[in-house]
Amino acid sequence: MTDPFATLGFEPVFDLDLALLERRHRDLSRALHPDRYAGRPATERRDALGRAIEVNHAFRRLKDPIGRAEALLERHGHPVRETGAPPADPAMLMEVLERREALGAAREKQDLETVRRLAEGVAEREKVSIAALARAFAASPPDVGGAEAALGELRYHRRFLDEVGAIEDEIG
Amino acid sequence: MLLDIYDPKAPPTPIGIDLGTTNSIVAYVSDQRPVALVTCDGAPLLPSVVHFAADGAVIVGRSAKAYATREPARTLASVKRFMGKSADDEETRRLGAYRFAAAESESDRRVVRFDLGSRVVTPVEVAAEILKSLAKSAVDQLRRVGGVVITVPAYFDDAQRQATRDAGRVAGLEVLRLLNEPTAAALAYGLESRKNGCFAVYDLGGGTFDVTILSLEDGVFQVRSTGGDSALGGDDMDRALAERLLAAMGATDAATRTPEVVSLALSSAREAKHALTDAERTAVTLPSRGGADVTIEVTRAELDELILPLLERTGRACRRALRDAGLEARELDGVILVGGATRVPRVRRYVAELFSREPLSDIDPELVVAYGAAIQADLLSRSSDEVLLLDVLPLSLGIETMGGGVDKILPRNTTIPAGARATFTTYADNQTGFELHVVQGERELAADCRSLARFSLKGVPPMPAGMARLEVEFHVDENGLLAVTARETQTGIAQRVEVRPSHGLTDEEVERMLIDALDHGEEDFEARRLADARVEAERLLLATRRALEMDRDLFEAGEGERVEAVVAALASAVAGQSAAAIQARSDELDRVTHAWAGRRMNRAVQAAIEGRAVTDVERRVEGAAGVDAHVAAHSAARESR
Repeated sequence: MTDPFATLGFEPVFDLDLALLERRHRDLSRALHPDRYAGRPATERRDALGRAIEVNHAFRRLKDPIGRAEALLERHGHPVRETGAPPADPAMLMEVLERREALGAAREKQDLETVRRLAEGVAEREKVSIAALARAFAASPPDVGGAEAALGELRYHRRFLDEVGAIEDEIG
Repeated sequence: MLLDIYDPKAPPTPIGIDLGTTNSIVAYVSDQRPVALVTCDGAPLLPSVVHFAADGAVIVGRSAKAYATREPARTLASVKRFMGKSADDEETRRLGAYRFAAAESESDRRVVRFDLGSRVVTPVEVAAEILKSLAKSAVDQLRRVGGVVITVPAYFDDAQRQATRDAGRVAGLEVLRLLNEPTAAALAYGLESRKNGCFAVYDLGGGTFDVTILSLEDGVFQVRSTGGDSALGGDDMDRALAERLLAAMGATDAATRTPEVVSLALSSAREAKHALTDAERTAVTLPSRGGADVTIEVTRAELDELILPLLERTGRACRRALRDAGLEARELDGVILVGGATRVPRVRRYVAELFSREPLSDIDPELVVAYGAAIQADLLSRSSDEVLLLDVLPLSLGIETMGGGVDKILPRNTTIPAGARATFTTYADNQTGFELHVVQGERELAADCRSLARFSLKGVPPMPAGMARLEVEFHVDENGLLAVTARETQTGIAQRVEVRPSHGLTDEEVERMLIDALDHGEEDFEARRLADARVEAERLLLATRRALEMDRDLFEAGEGERVEAVVAALASAVAGQSAAAIQARSDELDRVTHAWAGRRMNRAVQAAIEGRAVTDVERRVEGAAGVDAHVAAHSAARESR
């Protein structure tokens, strides 16, 4: 897949104007969506479909801070794979473990209130990690190591919040 | 009486069809305003009931419904609930007056099969009969009918969508697009209000429930999330009430619950439900086991209590959709009610409480989806740029892993068209093939998700484990339909494999059914092939001529002349009698315009990135006037009501 910043015509920065990103996605969709190619020759329709898919994929990556950070690290020659990430801070890992245990217990008891309270705490931490990512990428030269560490933390938070979502689906 | 001015050269009229569980509707756009056509029943709503008479005749609609209690096994209702389902689906075990054919082979088990006594039919064939009846009504009134947009529940999975498209093909229709029902409803509403903002569409039909959260911004309808249950609707309310009636009739076991008795209980339940929309209580008289009639009184409070568990299921789906969209109910600008089952007072009250606001239902909730489909068909055939619909994948797509788990490739609520690529390596030495199982759903185990396709790639040269690499590409198009291609990359022997759907019909099967349905088989089929080729070529010519007007400056030396020569050749082929010649010229036009099309696409992309309007100002103004006129027509119609 090509560089999502290039696909959407953005400078490769972490602090993106998200409203502009949405508008750009809409404008590009107007230009490339398959509905706009109804009645055109088959090859042209196929090309447009391929490009519309690429635009949607780039939009999905850039609107998510994790996807944005990954795309930037790729540009800096540090493609990220979850397994190759630097080891996390032991203190943070300990905290993550404890919170997961608490979440598991709350799930068992169907205690939606505790689940939500835990989620709020993690959402706060998520914001802190995103701010750390922004700082690391804004430094000159960019602090790649710092970005990788913050990204690792952000992933832990995201997984926790995804699990909360699954529990909310389950309990309703 | 319509003025009978018929211009044989006039372009065919595109139509929109709401293929519903209980009723189906066909609509078109006239003077920029959607109009529902009268069906063979003399009204816009055609009951989605098909009766297959013993003499081979096929009856659709209200007259078919009349046979429901007399010949239930030959009279099929609510067939939408079986679209794309396999023979052992849970749906086949719910209360209903169906007789299913025993599956004798593996391929029989792929789809539900109804036993009519004299023959066996599939849901696709039954749905095709409904579509044919609607298309016939459209042809009777509009003379020349063009492509069709068919609506589907947003929560339909790939197999259900494939089945719906197959039904359109078997009916001999050109399916332009499958459109999600809530999005269609939003389109009909959005064009009316032209108000930007976030909306929820609560669509409770006869057999399916959808909730869609979408935003409307400068003519772009963007679905933020969708959720639902493709086996939950007004039918289930009828079933809950019918269980009570059956108990009162003394029909408590399988022996007493014959298709005739069940059918009677279901239709009485439906009538009682309708009566309770306005009345507080109603009486139902039914024959009982002993022979004497029993009269059962049903109150609205009782019905409310029976349907509450169903409503709570819709509530869960709504809360999840809001969560997926990252919104709170109070942040919405409006809630739109769609579907006949939203006429039930308890449903309205429930929705109002759930979203803390009075829902909108000023466009008839039973017609609004067909209106939206007609508008989209009109927009597509005019290549209009006034409005764009950006929909999402309703259910996650994944591949079964070694342990029976699911590796998610595309998560639910991904904007479509969407694509993803996954790479697999061999796990054993000298492994010469890959087996892949594509599933759809949110459950953790592949066995609990919907199985879409199993396919294998063979002929991989023997190599040590982990050396051979299989690259699998998923494409979900604007209809929500999946295509998967796979190739082995490491060896350089790139092998491309198209996925055979586990459900759905092959092109050959569709062609066979079409030929069988025509009076003069092959002969008629050829005539139809020529007609279809002409329609398609005319659209191609129109699009190319428009591009010639706008983007002539992007030609390289000599290119414009080549394109114009092929355009002229195609135009004369259209006037001729050979479908093959039309096809050959169309292919040639595809080839000579390809490079130029790429340049035009680049220019459109560049313009979008620079924030310029993609098309010239004049055409934009014209488009806006079109929407205004549409709005004016609609408000006028509303005031006169």
